[in-house]
Amino acid sequence: MRAIPAATVLTFPWRLPAIRGAARARSRSCYGVAMELDAPSGVPLSEVNPNHIVPVTNFSADTLWSIIAHMEVSTDFEHLVYREAELDAIWSITGFFLVTEPNSSQLEAVRQLRAGAHKAHDLVADRRPAEAAVVLRSFL
Amino acid sequence: MLSREENELLTQTDVGSPAGKYFRRFWLPALLASEVPTPDCPPVRIRLFGEDLIAFRDTNGQVGLLEEACPHRRASLFWGRNEECGLRCVYHGWKFDVNGICVDIPNEPQEYRLESKVRTVAYPTRVYGGLVWVYMGPPELRPELPKLEWARVPESHRYISKRLQETNYLQAIEGGIDSSHSNFLHASLDAFRLTDSYVEKVKNSDNLRAKYHLLDKAPWFTVKKTDYGLVIAVRRKAEEDRYYWRLTQFLVPSHTIIPYQSGHSIHGHCWVPRDDQSCWVWTMSWNPNAPLSENDWGMIRDETFVHARVDPVTFKSVRNKENNYKVDREQQRTSTMTGIHGFASQDQAIQESMLPIVDRTRERLGTSDTAIIAMRRLLLQEIRELAQAHEPFAAQHADVYWVRSASLLLKRDVEFEEGARDLMKAEV
Repeated sequence: MRAIPAATVLTFPWRLPAIRGAARARSRSCYGVAMELDAPSGVPLSEVNPNHIVPVTNFSADTLWSIIAHMEVSTDFEHLVYREAELDAIWSITGFFLVTEPNSSQLEAVRQLRAGAHKAHDLVADRRPAEAAVVLRSFL
Repeated sequence: MLSREENELLTQTDVGSPAGKYFRRFWLPALLASEVPTPDCPPVRIRLFGEDLIAFRDTNGQVGLLEEACPHRRASLFWGRNEECGLRCVYHGWKFDVNGICVDIPNEPQEYRLESKVRTVAYPTRVYGGLVWVYMGPPELRPELPKLEWARVPESHRYISKRLQETNYLQAIEGGIDSSHSNFLHASLDAFRLTDSYVEKVKNSDNLRAKYHLLDKAPWFTVKKTDYGLVIAVRRKAEEDRYYWRLTQFLVPSHTIIPYQSGHSIHGHCWVPRDDQSCWVWTMSWNPNAPLSENDWGMIRDETFVHARVDPVTFKSVRNKENNYKVDREQQRTSTMTGIHGFASQDQAIQESMLPIVDRTRERLGTSDTAIIAMRRLLLQEIRELAQAHEPFAAQHADVYWVRSASLLLKRDVEFEEGARDLMKAEV
């Protein structure tokens, strides 16, 4: 696992409060997995395959690095769709964090990451994954 | 999520819009042939892409599609007399043929020959597959009709319904290609909760969907761009050495073919913008090899699957927003997710609840939304390319539409493109 620079204030993993009702169903869905905690980090860098979707279960350094690694080798329409989906998931998770952890010391860092994910998302949508990777790298 | 600009680019389809211009490059269903059943039958109203039109079948059996407002004083041609190879406005007697050419202006001196100077807007039509299709693009680019299998089977092998949905077309397509919602929206409570009795009931079922689709609620998505659109491949765990694949076809601009199991009937949709806040939902059920079965007809009559009963004049669903889709809350409490009868009404209810045009800047998507993301990106790409004068490939290549969907079990080391190659070829 890469060392996270001291300037990066994100701490991992973080825990969402349990939500009643649909927890069981959510916990078994792709999106439910994205909301769970303590999930293993993303695909090892040695297994980068742009045809596969990176499991986005948190916004850890490992997950971001995995997305970055996949972005750097993404060229085809399908690859860029998967990268966009991953960035959508990052944007969604960070958005929920901002709502559920308003007193967190990580708040500003997560807000910046969220804005970065949005920017990276738009770059990927514009078929500029290398630039999107640069944007995400700036958070690591 | 989409930016505001992207959302508007995709959802605005009225005259002059880039997406409207894109859609008009394709032949699209306009009305059921049975709405204009005989020569000289009464004209009918139809709204497409924000344009109010009148359809009529002339004395020779040809179907005309004209602007509703008479070019004289803007009276509606809906009240027109369909007779002797034309539609005559009842206000001042101006008459038009199926090509929009004015053939008579009786209230002006004949020597003026004013009719030779008058035309109304008219779009070419073809009757194909039980429907009247319309082409609203540049005349010099008019393509062949798409080679869709459902349109080519005998009439006895096919059933088509039409309904009005009060949403933009895009969220309707999204519902059609999103495989994961059926685990919830269309599920019984037993299926959702995976009760012992339900698992016992489906574990030995011949119906692959019943057996695998509902036992794995977290499918793995992949998409493949094709000449005609997308294959959306969804993989679920099956036995230890196999996966269950469901392959949906999305064919531009707005057709889908739902995954089907060999030996069963096939179903699909086409969504045509009526205006920015409403669309026509065309639903097809067909069997390439045999007339529709009694079981098929039973599902159609009972509205249990993709068809819904509609008002015969407005094509508005009998279960609609005004009557809360006839929801049965007791049924929702005890046996189904929604309490609404039938997949079609369940889809309509949830899509109409998202407001007529979804604000996609406020979405929170995840990786299970891959199919929707892919479809949007494809349409945006095609719309933008057309704005740069690059014509959509599929519109000019009718043969690319000759495909089927599929659902099948494959060994885990077999790629779906290879394993389903033959199944995805149409035959009729």
